[in-house]
Amino acid sequence: MNWALNLLLLLFLVTTAAVAIRLRDLLAVAIVFSAYSLMMAILWTQLRAPDLALTEAAVGAGVTTVLFVLTIFKTTRRED
Amino acid sequence: MRKAAVLGALLIIGAMLLFAIGKMPAMNSRNAPDKTHVIPRYLEKGEEEGGAKNIVTGVILNYRGYDTMGEVTVIFSALCAVVALLDREKRGLSRSSPDASGVRSSVIVRTVVRFAFPVIVFFAVAYMMLHGEGSPGGGFQGGAILGASVIVFTLAFGLPESTRRMPLKVRIPLESTAIVGFLAMGIIGLAYGVNFLTYLLPGVHGAMAQTVRNLMMTVIEVGIGIGGGVIFISIVFAMMREDKYELQPDVPQP
Repeated sequence: MNWALNLLLLLFLVTTAAVAIRLRDLLAVAIVFSAYSLMMAILWTQLRAPDLALTEAAVGAGVTTVLFVLTIFKTTRRED
Repeated sequence: MRKAAVLGALLIIGAMLLFAIGKMPAMNSRNAPDKTHVIPRYLEKGEEEGGAKNIVTGVILNYRGYDTMGEVTVIFSALCAVVALLDREKRGLSRSSPDASGVRSSVIVRTVVRFAFPVIVFFAVAYMMLHGEGSPGGGFQGGAILGASVIVFTLAFGLPESTRRMPLKVRIPLESTAIVGFLAMGIIGLAYGVNFLTYLLPGVHGAMAQTVRNLMMTVIEVGIGIGGGVIFISIVFAMMREDKYELQPDVPQP
């Protein structure tokens, strides 16, 4: 059961990473990247590293996304 | 010619790296050095020597106190450089020019934030920073959550309200708490005649020693948390302030 969940999470992780590379809308990329961090946080708890999971969730999914979105607002939303 | 040289160099480096990997102990091998020395020591004596129920905190603040202090110094210097580059809100400017993004958010958002904000702050301060030695979490995570809570508040109530509640002259001293707290706790050890960053002070015995050690580690955690959170808030405020008339999401450009 556990390996099924892990497999699902890893597949989702690879998918979000690929989508983040392919997308041209940078705002969407920031959100997809945030989802990636959330999946990674759950995986860290699966690997029994709760400290790292908290860091990933707080910094990866929270702080980085805010900074990315603010930067996109100040520059441009489309990737040429 | 040049391409061939680059390719050759890459191949040589790659071959050397692969050779080195082949010499490493197999993954999850019980004979790997970290499994025979480091991990058993941490698991058996970590709580006693590290002084924290959460072994990760004990390792970070005690076994590797110097590393953490250097890391904190590097990170906070970099964050200070970012704030300086962003040309922090000018002292007079924030008062004289009203913010263009003063659009009021909906009543639903404001009500939700009003209820959620204290809970988030409580979680960050109590569960992450103050209890970081007993449960997962610590200063960095608490600081990030604390900063995020203020960002949520700013999104709901606008930048002028946020800067009014957290003015620049309150934030400037708080930004330095991380390094100052760490150094101060290190110097207390020196003052007692033991090594820098020693939390077990001579002349303090028994349960009192454990209390003093926990207190000193908690001061470091809270310092890192408040310093990190406030500096993150400052960066976001500076980013939101500048070019305030272009803060609305732009239309996709052709």
